[in-house]
Amino acid sequence: MTPAHYSARRLSVLHIFKVYYPDLFGGTLSVIRDICAGLKDIASAGVLVCSRFGGQRQIVVDDVAVERVRSFGDVLSLPAAPTYPWRLWRRIAEHDLLALHAPFPLADLVFAFGLGRNRPLVVHWHADIVSHAALRRFVEPLMRRTLRRAHAIIVSDAVLVENTPLLREFVDKCHAIPFGVDVSKYNQPALRLDRVNARGRLVLACGRLVPYKGFDVLVRTAVGRNFEVWIVGEGREHERLEQLIKELGVEDRVRLLGSVPDSERVKLMCIADVFVMPSVTNAETFGLVQLEAMAAGCPIVNTSLDTSVPRVARHGMEAITVPPGDCEQLGEAINSLIADPERRRHMGEAARHRAMTKYSTTAFSKGIEIIYREAAAAPAPTVRVSRAAAIGWLPAIQIAAALAWSDMRHRYVRSLLGPFWMSIQMAIMVAVLGSVIGHFSNAGAVARLPMLALSLTAWTFLNSVVLDATTALQNSANLIKDRALPPVIFLLQCVFRQALFALHNACVPLILWLFLVPKDFGGAVAALPGLAAFIVCTLGLSLVLGAMATRFRDLKPIIESSLTLAFLSSPIIWSPEMINQASSVMRLNPLTHLFAVWREPLATGHVAMTSVAYVLAGLSVLAVASVVTIARLRKAAFWI
Amino acid sequence: MACISLRDVCLDYPLYGAYDFSLKRRLLGRLAGASAPTQTIRAIDNISIEASAGTRIGLAGPNGSGKSTLLRLIAGVYPATSGRIGITGNVMPLLGLNAGVNMDFVAADNISLLLRISGRKPTQAIIDEIWAFTELEERMQHLPLRMFSSGMLMRVLFATATAFPADILLLDEWLSVVDENFSAKAEQRLLKLVAQAAIVIIASHDQELLRRTCTSIVNLDRGRVVNTVSLESDSPYPFELREKRA
Repeated sequence: MTPAHYSARRLSVLHIFKVYYPDLFGGTLSVIRDICAGLKDIASAGVLVCSRFGGQRQIVVDDVAVERVRSFGDVLSLPAAPTYPWRLWRRIAEHDLLALHAPFPLADLVFAFGLGRNRPLVVHWHADIVSHAALRRFVEPLMRRTLRRAHAIIVSDAVLVENTPLLREFVDKCHAIPFGVDVSKYNQPALRLDRVNARGRLVLACGRLVPYKGFDVLVRTAVGRNFEVWIVGEGREHERLEQLIKELGVEDRVRLLGSVPDSERVKLMCIADVFVMPSVTNAETFGLVQLEAMAAGCPIVNTSLDTSVPRVARHGMEAITVPPGDCEQLGEAINSLIADPERRRHMGEAARHRAMTKYSTTAFSKGIEIIYREAAAAPAPTVRVSRAAAIGWLPAIQIAAALAWSDMRHRYVRSLLGPFWMSIQMAIMVAVLGSVIGHFSNAGAVARLPMLALSLTAWTFLNSVVLDATTALQNSANLIKDRALPPVIFLLQCVFRQALFALHNACVPLILWLFLVPKDFGGAVAALPGLAAFIVCTLGLSLVLGAMATRFRDLKPIIESSLTLAFLSSPIIWSPEMINQASSVMRLNPLTHLFAVWREPLATGHVAMTSVAYVLAGLSVLAVASVVTIARLRKAAFWI
Repeated sequence: MACISLRDVCLDYPLYGAYDFSLKRRLLGRLAGASAPTQTIRAIDNISIEASAGTRIGLAGPNGSGKSTLLRLIAGVYPATSGRIGITGNVMPLLGLNAGVNMDFVAADNISLLLRISGRKPTQAIIDEIWAFTELEERMQHLPLRMFSSGMLMRVLFATATAFPADILLLDEWLSVVDENFSAKAEQRLLKLVAQAAIVIIASHDQELLRRTCTSIVNLDRGRVVNTVSLESDSPYPFELREKRA
């Protein structure tokens, strides 16, 4: 086999997770590291994670290229990394295979947007979300989507599938591949001598200092007993545990060692007499450290969780299993092992034997390799450039413009007054409303007229665009289904058509302005960016609401009544100064600000920053929603 | 070079019942934790078709066998649920004649709008040429379409739709709609269009038409390919034979 041929068959795998070395140490991370190391002959791996500690973006850890996206701390155990989705999207194209290490809802979100659809995906299911039950409700649909899209789901033990309802839905995709441990690393004869611990009472525990690990239970257990407890690991519980140790007065026997290099940890495991895994929730799915301790020949005390924890080290054979969170029984189990060196030796040997035979790294790598190869060879779920891409944006816009132009011309066809009957309608409306409003306020009603006319024109535009958009797709079902035009054309058509109508209406405010107000062209120019923002917002609204109202038919009446409500509660026919105090409804109403960004420059020449901020925030939300909508519109033909 | 390649393509058509269109129900269902998945029907089941330039495929099968759906899938109306679709060349889907027609517009406006929809710039010369083909009176160009009889309407639409050649032509149930007189002329034009297009896929119940125009006939039933009949022909343009015979 030529090298070129060989490299052509090499896979390129992108591992997706929230954090990686050197920011943190833990079971999941060492699994990722082991996969990368185990498959280094057949695949080149890349890791994309978040990092809170700035530093270099591209680093190399154990020969693996790691890209770290800046995160601004954790929110609900999730990194707040706004650029992560974007980086993930960019990276997806560079790799043959995506390996998502779940749970990681941020990545689920990216996949839910339909990004990376054309790359095979393998999900490594490490644990369920246990800690934030409320969050889970929102995240579950996202996770389900990801799992549905995945080619295979890898779990450490079949029992996880049985006990996780979400995984049971995809049981035929799940593959149980137990993690592996390299027993030879623990074969150090020098350490064998150290292992003869004269005191015979060293209890070791390892893991990130997070609540589900149950280290507080272990600390409590130490009270009134005479063994020593060493806890290896770092995490946000550190201070709390330290305080607890002080309060219970066990500082002399319980020590938090912090994080320790791998080689040191191996030594600790070899000299420990008992290894304890006191985890209290099912977030502990496997307990890789427990397996490492087994490889070091340590007898184990673990907890009877519904996960593979009590199945890796089995009660009475390699371990004593106690109920989670039960200090009394945990203490008894540790004491009974400490009191009986023969049993310890016996169990330790059994543990080492099991680690060697049942959990070999080669079997683990081989299992992963088979699944990766299958996934990479399988056809991607669906690949096709959408018709919108095939037609191209410019022709699509041209078609939309042609349709809108013809719509407008058609409005004239049977009208006596030609183009300007629309303007006359607007003029009448302005005259009537202007005289009514004039009675409300004492200020000059006439001076107010141009602004009233302009506001009405703008509102009519927004209102009719949104209303039109809700039915646009259904009305154009023929063209979408029989001529394969991209649905987005018809939403653009609404905007263009109403923009043409608005230009007609705009004659009224223009004439009023020319005659009634001293000319101030500076204000008019300053209003242009605001007006542009207004139009873009309208466009975004029409895309999002138009698509949603087509998919969900009960939205149309809701949108209609909301528009009426919005018209009355926003300063369109009245102005903010006309009511005594700016009401909070008015201030919170985004429409107020959407009008303010161009009305205030026209009237006073400057605009409040809050309004600008409001509108920019609204624009960015709409932009995201529009991108999602355009992706979802691929399915629009099913809805109509 | 135009080509179509469908590999193991499946399409699950979601069946939206009356309640599936309700956002309220969807949200309530999700809150109650009992969101029933949308019913789907497999409209296209594992179909693979390869077509290179010069291929003319006829799709035959009973109603509801997936002929139109397959055409729409190729046109890009429906996204495939799984499988690979690769298409090179510009696709002209002519699946329904009256798509985009506005009965209140005059004929000439309709023609120019339909041309724009196909991405062509309408000029008076092109419109006149199309009109000549319809054999209708000149002044009718400026009458609204709603005043046309259905036969006349079909002439206008057919003439417009077939005015320009395309790389890949997708046709659905064509000639049955035109009256006897016009039929021969229409078929000739269609054959000319077919001859100019690199790939043609026609869905029809008319076995005769398919035999005359296609190089192979794919029989569909319930979204699956039942069999593929390859029509041997010595001439690269099989319809020429038929024209000589006629």
